[in-house]
Amino acid sequence: MKSLLTILAIFALIPATASANHADGGTLQKDVAVEVNGLVCDFCARALEKVFGKRDEVHGIHVDLSAGEVAIDLNDNQNMSDEEITALITDAGYNVVKINRPEIVSE
Amino acid sequence: MKHVLSLAVIALAVTLSAPAQARPVSYPGGWTLMQMNDVDNNSLHVHYSPTAKYSVGARYEYHREPNAHITSIQMNNLIKRWNAPASQANLYLKSGVGVAYDSGDTEPVAFTGVATDWENRRFFTSYENRLFYAGDIHKFIKHQARIGVAPYIGEYGDTHTWLMLQADYDAGQDDTFSLTPLVRVFKGPNLIEAGYNLDKGLLFNYVHRF
Repeated sequence: MKSLLTILAIFALIPATASANHADGGTLQKDVAVEVNGLVCDFCARALEKVFGKRDEVHGIHVDLSAGEVAIDLNDNQNMSDEEITALITDAGYNVVKINRPEIVSE
Repeated sequence: MKHVLSLAVIALAVTLSAPAQARPVSYPGGWTLMQMNDVDNNSLHVHYSPTAKYSVGARYEYHREPNAHITSIQMNNLIKRWNAPASQANLYLKSGVGVAYDSGDTEPVAFTGVATDWENRRFFTSYENRLFYAGDIHKFIKHQARIGVAPYIGEYGDTHTWLMLQADYDAGQDDTFSLTPLVRVFKGPNLIEAGYNLDKGLLFNYVHRF
């Protein structure tokens, strides 16, 4: 019985935050939207954030795990080619399906 | 009655449970610290990934039975990754060489093993094995498998939780087969696993990605 209580106590450690909180709201500047295969976890998103964060052209990225999409916000007067974006994502271990270049998308 | 309760808990874990991704290779330029503890072993593994295809690092592990300390250099290779729109699968090779110490005795060490996993955002399954040889000090072949379920689907930046069931098989131990229900929680660069084996006791793992 003691063992059972211990195990139940471990399960009780699961955060009550079963409903996730999202800090991302409002308007997202999305210069490039990339559909990516293999984005199944937070670590995948973090890996892409680290890789793109090293590029001077990139102001920031937003990863939508549900949509399998990476939104890239470029700095003013900066650009990245489809080939550069594809190489970065492929080298990080994921596959690019499609690259879209919308103007400004409001969420 | 004890066995009935144990099975009920295991069934609960399987029903609710979740996956894990203590991946042995990180993103290009990424460092990872992995600290694992259970009743048989303690280990610390720090590795660096020059590319997303492999990592190299240093490893220390303590085996309670026998009373052996092992230091080694380990290389992890991503042999193959399958990326799908809503899932990912991986095949790794993990190998190392080093030195084992036990009560004044020293032996060279070599180990290797394959690890494979499949996951989507709700379910997870993995299997890995390890062939370990340290001469007269220690030798074994271990197998480990996990299944898991995420009780909720988190977005990027959320706290992610997985409920998992781990099965271990060690032909070199008296207890050749054991089950460990565990919980994995990760947020940002930190991952924690806590579990309890009905026969062997607590499991606690920590992973940090820099």
